[in-house]
Amino acid sequence: MEPAEVEFLAEKELVTIVPNFSLDRIHLIGGDLGPFNPGLPVEVPVWLAINLKQRQKCRLIPPEWMDVGKLEEIRDQERKEDTFTPMPSPYYMELTKLLLNYASDNIPRADEIRTLVKDTWDTRVAKLRLSADSFVRQQEAHAKLDNLTLMEINTTGTFLTQALDQMYKLRTNFQPGESSHSQDF
Amino acid sequence: QGSKLEIPLWLAKGLHDSKRRIISVELPKIYKEAWRTVFSADANVVDLHKMGPYYYGLGSQLLNFENPENPEIAQTILQASTFIARFRRIMDSSQNAYNEDTSALVARLDELERALFQVGQKGLNDFQCWEKGQASQITASSLVQNYGKRKLTEVDG
Repeated sequence: MEPAEVEFLAEKELVTIVPNFSLDRIHLIGGDLGPFNPGLPVEVPVWLAINLKQRQKCRLIPPEWMDVGKLEEIRDQERKEDTFTPMPSPYYMELTKLLLNYASDNIPRADEIRTLVKDTWDTRVAKLRLSADSFVRQQEAHAKLDNLTLMEINTTGTFLTQALDQMYKLRTNFQPGESSHSQDF
Repeated sequence: QGSKLEIPLWLAKGLHDSKRRIISVELPKIYKEAWRTVFSADANVVDLHKMGPYYYGLGSQLLNFENPENPEIAQTILQASTFIARFRRIMDSSQNAYNEDTSALVARLDELERALFQVGQKGLNDFQCWEKGQASQITASSLVQNYGKRKLTEVDG
């Protein structure tokens, strides 16, 4: 999967906006949205929020986890634990990128938030690699990792599955002769 | 008979027949015991590209020719001596490259490891590209950039 595809999925997440226009309830295939009244907060999917923001039709309210204190807590916990902390949103990386790129004026201390999220991401990805390494070393058959997000899996996934395929091929060397006539190295 | 020849692997496989013993295959140096000890000491220092860029592939094919050392060879190719030991280095560098010069490391990988390295790098590059917002920008294809502009004089001449 491309990162852009993961982002596409992330854009279905809901976020709160404050519109400056009014519009009756609209009926879309995925569900209903609205009604929109100026000054009243309403929840919409991120794709719509970004679009409205770019047309200067609303103000974005950052999700409650997108706050320096909360993110510091999450980052510290991630560094302390060996397992993965549950993230406040399964699309935290994508939401951070989208909201900070398009609506940083609506988000207090945006730069610090960007750094904190990046630090947390780096820690998680490093843990993922450590886990992959011990998985390979001990030649386990199964591994279970909780609380990973799709973007993290997507970034390391192809490498890991290919490496495991190669390992499997090398393992079948232990079976004697006739069966290993494959030329697909 | 009794003479030594170098022939390609596919030919050796064709001639090999455990019942009639037309040929017997001598192991290349790198699969012999001396090298196997090096691998178990520290697999990361070996320049696999220089020693035979298809180390894993060739090694696996060699196991077809009966040889009393086969189990040890198979073990070494796979084991903490080699693939597994080098795996970590390949993974970390392919995922951390950030435009640093990795050519020194890659030069010492065999073909199988290089393919894996490139997959890892692509994963990382795609992510970074997306993060910068380049995923949704239209950029000129590298193929087109290399065409250059043809001068009118060239077309005439």
